[in-house]
Order: sequence, then C-alpha cells, then structure tokens
Amino acid sequence: MPVWLREHSWRQTLTAVYLSLPLRGARATPANIFCSERYLKVSIPPFLFEAILHAPIDDTNSTAKIGNGNIFFTLYKKEPAMWDSLTLANAGKEKLQYLRENAVLKAQEKAKEETEAKKITKQEHKKYALEATMKLEEAERKRIEELKEKERQKVTEELEFWKNQQKDADKYKSIQKKGELHQEIEPLKERKNEKMNKTRIPNEGTSKIGLKSTKGCHGSCNIFSQNLKEEQLPAPRTAATIKVNFTPRVFPTALRESRVAEEEEWLHKQAEARRRINSDLSELEDLKEEEKNPDWLKDKGNKMFAMGNYLGAVNAYNLAVRLNDKLPLLYLNRAACHLKLRNLHKAVEDSSKALELLTPHVPDNENARLKAHVRRGTAFCQLELYTEGLQDYEAALKIDPKNKNIEKDAEKIRHLIQETMQSS
Amino acid sequence: MSAVAAPERPQVVSHVQQALNYTVFDCKWVPRSARLLCLGSAARGTGIVQLYELHGARLELLREIEKPKPIKCGTFGATSLQQRYLATGDFDGNLNIWNLEAPEIPVYSVKGHKEIINSIDGVGGLGIGEGAPEIVTGSRDGTVKVWDPRQKDTPVANMEPVQGESKRDCWTVAFGNAYNQEERVVCAGYDNGDIKLFDLKTMSLRWETNIKNGVCSVEFDRKDINMNKLVATSLEGKFHVFDMRTQHPTKGFASVSEKAQKSTIWQVRHLPQNRDIFMTSGGSGSLHLWKYEYPARRSKEDSEGCEMGVAGSVSLLQNVTLSTQPISSLDWSPDKKGLCVCGAFDQTVRVLIVTKLNKI
Repeated sequence: MPVWLREHSWRQTLTAVYLSLPLRGARATPANIFCSERYLKVSIPPFLFEAILHAPIDDTNSTAKIGNGNIFFTLYKKEPAMWDSLTLANAGKEKLQYLRENAVLKAQEKAKEETEAKKITKQEHKKYALEATMKLEEAERKRIEELKEKERQKVTEELEFWKNQQKDADKYKSIQKKGELHQEIEPLKERKNEKMNKTRIPNEGTSKIGLKSTKGCHGSCNIFSQNLKEEQLPAPRTAATIKVNFTPRVFPTALRESRVAEEEEWLHKQAEARRRINSDLSELEDLKEEEKNPDWLKDKGNKMFAMGNYLGAVNAYNLAVRLNDKLPLLYLNRAACHLKLRNLHKAVEDSSKALELLTPHVPDNENARLKAHVRRGTAFCQLELYTEGLQDYEAALKIDPKNKNIEKDAEKIRHLIQETMQSS
Repeated sequence: MSAVAAPERPQVVSHVQQALNYTVFDCKWVPRSARLLCLGSAARGTGIVQLYELHGARLELLREIEKPKPIKCGTFGATSLQQRYLATGDFDGNLNIWNLEAPEIPVYSVKGHKEIINSIDGVGGLGIGEGAPEIVTGSRDGTVKVWDPRQKDTPVANMEPVQGESKRDCWTVAFGNAYNQEERVVCAGYDNGDIKLFDLKTMSLRWETNIKNGVCSVEFDRKDINMNKLVATSLEGKFHVFDMRTQHPTKGFASVSEKAQKSTIWQVRHLPQNRDIFMTSGGSGSLHLWKYEYPARRSKEDSEGCEMGVAGSVSLLQNVTLSTQPISSLDWSPDKKGLCVCGAFDQTVRVLIVTKLNKI
C-alpha cells in the first residue's frame, strides 16, 4: 500500500497555483512527477501523492522545482479563476479512475506528438544541411573544372600557334633548300651544257617529308648532297658477339618479388620428391624385386630382431628407410634394435623421428606411440638422463594409464631422481 | 583521379582521345611535326601503322598502312631529319625500316630474331649525337642485336646467351653514352630482373645487376651525352634510378628505388627538354610524373679509396589515372615541351599536355 503524502500546502493567484509538497525524506527526480491537464501525481515508492485538479491547467508551461526535501509546483491555470480548493471535491471513485486513465492517455498522446514533431524538424534540418554541403561541393568542383578548362584552352592555343610556326618554318626551309639547290644546279648546269632537263622548279607546297622529288637534276642533286653527308659518317662497326650469362632462374616466367616465396616452396617439394625417386635408382638395380619393397624389408628386419640378429635388422630397416622415409614403424623398430645394441643416442633419434611421423595423435597409432615413448624413455634412462626419461614414461602413461609395467618403471625412475638430488 | 593540386604543380591535361579498332603497342611522334604514329596489331592478326595529325582538339587520320605481321615497337632514332624513316620490330622477329611516303617496300629488312622483337631503339639520327646511325633490338629469344642500316643481313653486334645457357626474354633495350663517334653503350633489361650494360666500343659487358623483378623498360636520360642517369622500371610497381657517372669496381652504380604503385610500370620516358623529369606509366592506367634531385655530392670515396656514386632522390610531381587498362607506350614530343602521347590497352591513344613544366 503506498504511503500517501498529504501534508501539502498551497496558495493561488488568479492565474497560477503554487503547491508545496514536503517529501518526508524521499528523494525526487523529474521521472517521479507525472502531470497532465487535470491530474497531478508524484510517485516515489513507497510514497504517493496525487491530485485531481479543480480546473484544467496548462501542463506544458507549469513547472516543478525539486529541492530541500520539497517539491514546489507552479501550475498555470488555463482559465484565470479562483479555485475553491486544489482538488476536485466530491470526486467519485469511478470518476477518479476515469480521470486518471484519461490523464495517462492524454499524456501518452502528447508525448507521441512531441516525438513526431521532433523527428520532422530533425529531418528537415538534415535535408537542409545536405543541400548546403552539396552546393558547396558543386561550387568547388566547378571551380576546379574551370581552372582545368582554362589550362586546356591556353594550351590548345599555344599548340595551334606552334603548329603554324612549324608550317611556316618548314615552308621557309623548303624554299631555302630550293635556293641552295638552285645554286648547286648552276655550276652543274654549266658542266652539263646541253643536258638541261628542267628549268622550272615546281612548288613543293607544304610537304613535310623532305624534298623527295624524283625529277631530273633534283634527284641527282639530292644524291650529291647525300653522298657528302655519308662520307662524314663512320663506317659500320666490325661485327662482334658478346656472350651473355643470365642470373639463373628455373621458371620460364618473369621474376616477381611477390612470388619468390611460393616458387621456393615448390622447388623444395620438387627436390624432395626427386630425391626419393633418385635414391630408388642408384644401387638398387642389383636387388631383387621383393627387396625393393619397404614392407618386405620391414618384415625381414622384424624376423631378424626376433632371432637376435640386431645388426642385420638395422641394415634391413636402413634400406627400407632409404626407399620410403615416411613409415614410422621402420624408425620405431630400428630404435628397438639400437636399444639392444646399446646405441642409445641413435635409439633416441629414431624414436623421436617415429613420434614426429606419428602426428596426428589418434587412437590408431596409440600403440606405436606408446612403444616409441617407452623406448625413448629407456634410452634416456640408460644415458642417465632421468628427467627426460621420466617425461617420456609419463607421456606413455598418459596414453595407456593402465599399464602396470610402465607405472612400475616410472616409479623406479622417480626414486632414482630423488636419490640423485639428495646425494648431490 | 588527379590530385587537387596547388596551382604551381604541373597538371596533366588530356587534350585528345582517339578510339582505335586495334591494339596499339607503340605510339611515337614524328619529329619536327604535329603528327604521330600508332603501331599495333589488328584483330585479324596483321600489323597496323596509322599516321595521325593533331588538328585543334582532334586527331585526323592521314594514312593507314597494313603489314602482314603485327608490329610491336618502332623508333625514329636512327634516321636523318630529312628522311624520317621509321624502324619497326614485329611479332615475327623482323626488323624493317620504312619510308612512310612509300611504305609498300621497306628500305631495309632483315629477319633479325627467331621470336618477337620486344623493344627497339635507335641512335645517331635526327641530328642528335654523333656517330653512325644504329638500331638495337631486343627479343624474346634472349638476344640483343645492333644493326647498321648500311649493312645488310648481319648485325654489327650480337649479345647472345652462352652456348647451352637457357635463354631469358629480353624485354627492353636502350642506347646511351653516344657522345662521340666511338663511344656507345646498350642497356638491356630481361624478364628475370637482369640489367646488362654492353659497351660497344670495347664489345664487352660493362656492368650487370639484378633488380629482383622483371625489367619492363630502361632509358637513359639522354642518349647523346656522357651517361648520366638510367631509369629502369619493373614489375611490382618499382623503378630504380641509377647514377651512371661513377662506376665502382664491385658495387657498380649507385641507385635509388621507388615503389610507385602496386602494378607493373610499363614505360619510362624522360622529358626531352629537361633530363631530370620523367614520366612512368603503369598497369593500372595511371601516369606518374617524377623529378630527380641530385645529391649534394655525386660521388664519394669508400673505405678502400675507390670512387663510388651517391644516388639522389626522386619526388612525385603529379599523378593521374587515365584508363583502367595498362598504358603500354608513352612518348614525349621532342618539339613542344609538355606534349606527349600515350597508348593504352583499352585501344585508345591519348594526347596529353603537361603544364607548368617551365616552373620546375
């Protein structure tokens, strides 16, 4: 049940009502105040104050001041008249209810209208701003275009002027040339007394590709002047060849920096593939067919291991590895041989290689991995590298936690480590 | 698109654009004129040479010549100004020199290479430099051959792989150091990143290096002076500028390199009127204009007292994207500063004007 705030005090003038509401310690914010034309409510849970006003007020202009534990309302009356009381007297429950709802509805509508109005003004502002920026940009663009046009026109004029200059210059030159030739022709004419072919020199007009006249003396005169010129040029060079070496490049395509990495990778892979094929070819021609099969060699190796011929087994495995170096079991078994032969470092190497090849870790190769770890661990321990050995044993345990032997061995190693630590 | 530049930076203005109906591999200005040549390959597998003249804001087609094999590259470098013969290399390995007024029969023709001639350069003509006019061609068969138009059928110099060596494609060649009648140097770039400098006076390999990416284009800043700078562009958007004045016995030439963009830099061309400005064209259809700044001292002594060069720095003046396809060829007009033509694989040739080069 809300706690009603009833100790309000009010006074009025003809146009306004002043209402003071003490808050009893509660703190008010503008959200707690709800006001419409005839209904005023202050709700600060659990406190509640509401009033159905005697007459309508102008709720947009009315104000509320919150401060000092007090809300001070200034309500402007719609019709200037003196009120008998602040609230409507004799308000029945239904009327109250109805007025309340009405008030709420009205307030909602008002709020809606306000937001709509706001939206519209916002849009209009946006449009205006957009148009203004567009205008500015247009102006800028036009300015640049005009600059460019001016440049272009200026340059076009210069170009035309230059062209005309060229034409005139050429004309002048051709006239000059004819003058010169004329002078050359004179002595020729004197020499070739009766053989004067032409006296009239046709106008060459604006031909630009030189004096390619083929008429009579002109031709000979031209060649005459040409010969003089040729004598000034040095003779053609004596022919020679320069041998060239190129920076080596495997690919026929052009070299690009961005492709170098790819190309290196490709070459690397090619080299590896070739290596394997090559190793097939070298001494294996004298082996029998079955001996070229890595699996057959593996079986042979296994048999020899079982019989105790560790060296022979190692040989078989070596050959198999040369044929196909991607089979982990070969390394695994060879590691076992090395262990027996007490080639501990080699055993470590081979088990490591086997483990490398046994990625990804799937249930299928659990067995193999287990063996690899155990063998490597053993080799480490025999080399007295107990911590590394322990690591491998623990890895083995992880794969197969139920193996008692491995557990026992791991325990033993732990003891050994503790002993060495205590003693050192 | 081009950067919104401060008004002092050079602007690259597209003056004319011409759509073609063939693939254009090379475009060249005809010296002393407002004409340009486009060389390429038509869809039916024949070679096309088109001669255009610049008229105001458009290009007028003056002449179209069709040849049996597609044409890859051409140069005017080895002809005199009066003759202006065009030397071309085609897809079949033929070197031809044409008189454009009478193009039915070539003035000089030789089947120089077994495979496509990728690049051609000429020196000794156009009133530039001294010495015999010569043409160098570089081909996919790995050889670089120097030809003299007065000597038929055999090259005057042949740079070929050693017997038994597998060949690398030669992608670009350039002449340089032709400052007197005897001196001449050929620089060749290969697809495995090799750059080799051949000295034609001593007929030997003068220098070689490898820039780790296939070399698309090499050019000396001037052919007819004591070799000063060499720009080599490559795949992967990199180019190197070598200072060629000081050669160290082991370290070779000093260089500075710049990575301009992610795509191949197809061509580099120096401005004929200012040898420190050059333009690179890229596989993304963009053009970059660069300026080389010399260091305070161009050479210094190393620990053993040998002279070694000091490379300067390169700064970007402007860049512009004109096309979505690579711009494979570029040529500055030797007569008008800032006028250049470029051909791209989107079958358009564009005439551009670079402004404000005087202020650099």
